[in-house]
Amino acid sequence: MGANIYKNKKPLVLFLVPALIFMTVFLYYPFVQNILNSFQQISSLGAANKGWNDPWYENYIKMFQDKHMRTALFNTVVMMAVTIIGQVGVAIVLAVLVDNIKKGAKFFRTVYFFPIVISATALGLMFNLIFLYDKGMINQLLEMFGKSSLTDWKDSSHALFIMMLPVMWQYVGFYFVILVTGLNNISEELYESASIDGATKWQKVRFITLPLLRNVICTCVVLAVTGALKVFDLPWVMFPKGMPLGKTWLTGTYMYYQTFNTKNVDYSSAIAVLIVVLGIITSKVVNKVFKEADY
Amino acid sequence: MKKKLAALLLAGSMVLSLAACGGGGSSKEEGDSSATASLSVTTTFAGEDGNAQNYKNAIAEFEEKEGIKVNDSSATSDETFKARVETDFQTGSEPDVLFFFSGADANSFIEEGKVVSIDTIREEYPDYASNMNDDLIAASLVDGEKYAVPVNGYWEGLFCNTAVLEAAGVEVPGADYTWEQFLADCEKIKEAGYAPIAASLGEIPHYWWEYSIFNHTSTETHLEVPASTDEGNGPGWVEGMEDIKELYEKGYFPENTLSAKDDETFAMFTSDKAAFLIDGSWKVGGIAAACQSDPEDPSTLDTDKLDNFTVTYVPTNGEREATDLIGGLSMGYYISAKAWEDESKREAAVKFVEYMTSDEKVALFAQHTASALKEAPEVNEEDFNSLQIKSIKMMADVTSLTGAVQDVFSDECRVSTFDGMPQIVTGEVSAKDAVQEGLEIYAEQNAE
Repeated sequence: MGANIYKNKKPLVLFLVPALIFMTVFLYYPFVQNILNSFQQISSLGAANKGWNDPWYENYIKMFQDKHMRTALFNTVVMMAVTIIGQVGVAIVLAVLVDNIKKGAKFFRTVYFFPIVISATALGLMFNLIFLYDKGMINQLLEMFGKSSLTDWKDSSHALFIMMLPVMWQYVGFYFVILVTGLNNISEELYESASIDGATKWQKVRFITLPLLRNVICTCVVLAVTGALKVFDLPWVMFPKGMPLGKTWLTGTYMYYQTFNTKNVDYSSAIAVLIVVLGIITSKVVNKVFKEADY
Repeated sequence: MKKKLAALLLAGSMVLSLAACGGGGSSKEEGDSSATASLSVTTTFAGEDGNAQNYKNAIAEFEEKEGIKVNDSSATSDETFKARVETDFQTGSEPDVLFFFSGADANSFIEEGKVVSIDTIREEYPDYASNMNDDLIAASLVDGEKYAVPVNGYWEGLFCNTAVLEAAGVEVPGADYTWEQFLADCEKIKEAGYAPIAASLGEIPHYWWEYSIFNHTSTETHLEVPASTDEGNGPGWVEGMEDIKELYEKGYFPENTLSAKDDETFAMFTSDKAAFLIDGSWKVGGIAAACQSDPEDPSTLDTDKLDNFTVTYVPTNGEREATDLIGGLSMGYYISAKAWEDESKREAAVKFVEYMTSDEKVALFAQHTASALKEAPEVNEEDFNSLQIKSIKMMADVTSLTGAVQDVFSDECRVSTFDGMPQIVTGEVSAKDAVQEGLEIYAEQNAE
């Protein structure tokens, strides 16, 4: 009976074909078309192309010479580091802590997960109000504590930090939930036998929890890093157009700007191709670092 | 055999449901439009626009009178709005009726033939826009045809917070306001601890850009875009940008002008922290709303607070007189080709535009601005608030209204000097290079 299911694969194919057609039309075709677009001259969204670029790799050269693109790449790399430490790192700590308490685990799970449910645009507007120069929450609190001058949280020295803070805050819950599920898969017996052997709490975390979570952490880091390449909504609402002075560009926001504001569609297609290439490279690197281990 | 049959049936039903989803959507749409006529409309009468409430009332009256449902997706006019409208046309989701700019911003969809010209409409409806003076209707830059029926015009002037001016010991500027006097006034205001100019150079440098250039061109030549920074108005454009840089370096803009949004700096102006604001006639409504405890309800207006605001002429350091303002009739109602070709929508769209551009409605919307009406009905001063009356008085002494050159200078051309304004004023990019970049893109576009 069991062997029969695997012999005849034709029904499987029938089920898979509709989804494959859908993906081909709405994902793979636009993907290939986008690569082609980056070599052509297109002056606005939806307009027909005006022929091939001259030379055909013009946009890619422009990308390497573009000062804003360099800023965007640098900021994105910083964002990747921030998400690994700030999102996944904090999520690991929270997950281990929550795993160790008996009462209230459900409450914390709900509370930490909540920010993800809120629209990033709404969060962006909220943080705009918190960091507002005149009458913003932080500035008002500082004034109450005696600070005399107002801090411009969106000027060149603070902008990058203020941009990354809400992004970090929003997604901690997402990785937290994944990690908590991963933690639940670790058998209680291991902890019990470790206690019998006299292991402290910290040793248990270091020698049992973390190694067994390795694969889950690998997944989370890949998601976090590729997310940093694509993130758009929160940064754009708080710092549109790379404000101030083009210091806060990210690959995601710069691509949007080139498409919709400067209408340089072929250049933004090239940026999109770059984002994909970077995504593939970084996920391969992360996978290698967190090599699948058999415990 | 049974298993194969079951598998086939399941796969088939999945494919059918996908197809049905797609098909069902479009058939539902057709059903809608044949049952009750509906019209999708987009205008700029929303948010802080002075006519936002008038517009909502007008739509409600129209719906009741004609029984046509109006789906309104109006929004405040800013760069995002313009980008949205252009994208809508390109993706085929344009509105049936659109109130939009008639300058370079409309080029993209006029070139594609996505809107119908007034002449074409008049072939079917000879009385269309017959109450308008055709000479005052703007012709499109693409083909010289007229597409948009104007409602209200606009002017851009210098709004002043007289409470701040008094506190700083500065007189309200008059008809002979010079740049030197302006600089001296700004210095006094700055020393008194206020921000002289409320402007967000990072988001909306538009008005300062326009007037700074206007100060170095003339009323006759202002709309000529130079071929380069060395020809025609070229040097004037560069000098204009450098004037703004001078104001920034002297600290006359708010401290966070490069990172603040326009709403923030406007709030500074209305909460007595800044003295001057160059903005358009539409802002009169916005200032009044800021003086109302309920922004939607004009009866909650604090008239004493509103009395602290006035509007006057913009300082000049060039050929123009302070009383030569930027203004005109730069927006109008378009009917999309999509709606025109749809028999059920054609009639509704024409009725809507005729209703919104009737003598009565134009007088209501235009009020203290300009209009193209052949016969403008008399307006009762009691219907206006103090700022509107001051605006009307100011307009009475205006010597000329010149169109804005940014209306012919499209989005892509503006990137280096609008988006790049922070870089210009901080000296990262020289004014000459930034202007040259924009002019080159303009030359490229017009060579095609």
